[in-house]
Amino acid sequence: MPQQTPLYIIAAQHPRVGKTLIARLLIEYLRFGGNRPLLACDLDPREPTLATYFPDLVSTVDITDTRGQMALFDRLIADNWRTTVIDLGYGLSEQFFDVMAEIGFEREARRRSIEPIVLFITDSAPITARGYAKLLQRLPQTTFVPVHNEAASFMFIPQDFPPSRPECGVIRIPRLSPIVRGLIDRPGFSFGGYMANQPGGPTEVHTWIGAIFREFRELELKLLIGTLESSLRGVARQTASRAP
Amino acid sequence: MAKPALILVGADKGGVGKTTVARTLLDYFTAHHVPTRAFDSESPRGTLKRFHGDAADVVDATSVADQMRIIDTLSTTDASVTVVDVRAGLLSPTLRSLRDIGFLDAVKKGQITFVIFHILGSSIASLNEIEETAPFTADAKYFLVKNFINNTSFFEWDQATHASYFKKLKDAVVLTIPKLNEMAYEQVELASVPFLTFVANKNPKGDTANYSFVLRGYVRHWLGNVWAEYDRVKLLDIIDTGGAAVTGQRAQTANRS
Repeated sequence: MPQQTPLYIIAAQHPRVGKTLIARLLIEYLRFGGNRPLLACDLDPREPTLATYFPDLVSTVDITDTRGQMALFDRLIADNWRTTVIDLGYGLSEQFFDVMAEIGFEREARRRSIEPIVLFITDSAPITARGYAKLLQRLPQTTFVPVHNEAASFMFIPQDFPPSRPECGVIRIPRLSPIVRGLIDRPGFSFGGYMANQPGGPTEVHTWIGAIFREFRELELKLLIGTLESSLRGVARQTASRAP
Repeated sequence: MAKPALILVGADKGGVGKTTVARTLLDYFTAHHVPTRAFDSESPRGTLKRFHGDAADVVDATSVADQMRIIDTLSTTDASVTVVDVRAGLLSPTLRSLRDIGFLDAVKKGQITFVIFHILGSSIASLNEIEETAPFTADAKYFLVKNFINNTSFFEWDQATHASYFKKLKDAVVLTIPKLNEMAYEQVELASVPFLTFVANKNPKGDTANYSFVLRGYVRHWLGNVWAEYDRVKLLDIIDTGGAAVTGQRAQTANRS
């Protein structure tokens, strides 16, 4: 079974729910965990916040025209050996997923051993739950993992945001006290760098980052186990069908 | 012996997408394994010929010799279907010629299947062609093709005008060709290959090409929608393929290639 390369897509229905924060955390987690080849894309050309944090890693792409769509999707297909993180700019989710469905990206991704995983940041608006349900229906081969960012939305109704693969569950981003929130938003702040340096023992920020990194690690393990199980089931079916 | 079918794709107005529609038809029949030949009346250059070099010949539709090449061979050729891409301005004269040589009588007697794809642009001049064409379409399968090559509306905002053209002929069936992404269209133009070949990422020699995955995706999706229209009007049932057509193989063929 060829190893799947994850393609993480950070999406949300509404602005200011923490898309770029989660993209930053994920990138730093992926960097922190080893030297795996990485690619990241910021799809908000007007306000490329993610690109300002990782200028050496993040490409800014405008997918509102065909040229930009080619720059993004053709590259994703060609760079199928690199784990990729995409930060969808506000208002671009619909267009991104429209293009993804129209050009048959899911099928090509599967052919190239790319596993699209949408980290969907939830909120309590009914339109968000409806939008999430539509996406699940429209992109059946994509893994959808709901993300509950407690700083952006107090409520989370699990029935509204079922993960596409039940074993993946929900990623919870705990609320950080407002006093230290300013620290992580500083330009140049590195979560990985902060974790590596704990001279006075763990602080609230260390605990917070650690909890989120654990969520990401568990997600990776669940995805891996799920893929292995499904592969083993396929082998068992094949063996059973060959049995005399 | 299967009953021969002649498909005319034409319009009197230019720039409405006749050759594009002819190309989608050739791809459709290829995908369904229907033996097809084509004639391109853009003499002497031939646009259709550029994309379907193997299947298409360039003819001068006004010359008697070339008319004989097309019509006299209908029942002797191995192809079940003959597609003629009629040059702009020649649809009405071609139909008149077909009447004059007795072709329309043969259609009336059921000896030949005759299909007309009348490609329409969003202009009154283009829509007025429907009236000129009407006298020749009684025994043909007549399709009025709305080709959305730009964001046109075919006067749908004015129901009276729209109905006066599209509901006048009770046997005419309206087909809709959606708009293809401009860059994808241009890339296929540059590649000079059939749409299906482009989707399969092959160059004219059949070797693997390096076309954009995004543009191939747009073409695949669009071609699937166009073929869904051909499926909707049961085009394969209209023409007698002599059992050659792969039944049940639908527009998704494009997606599988």
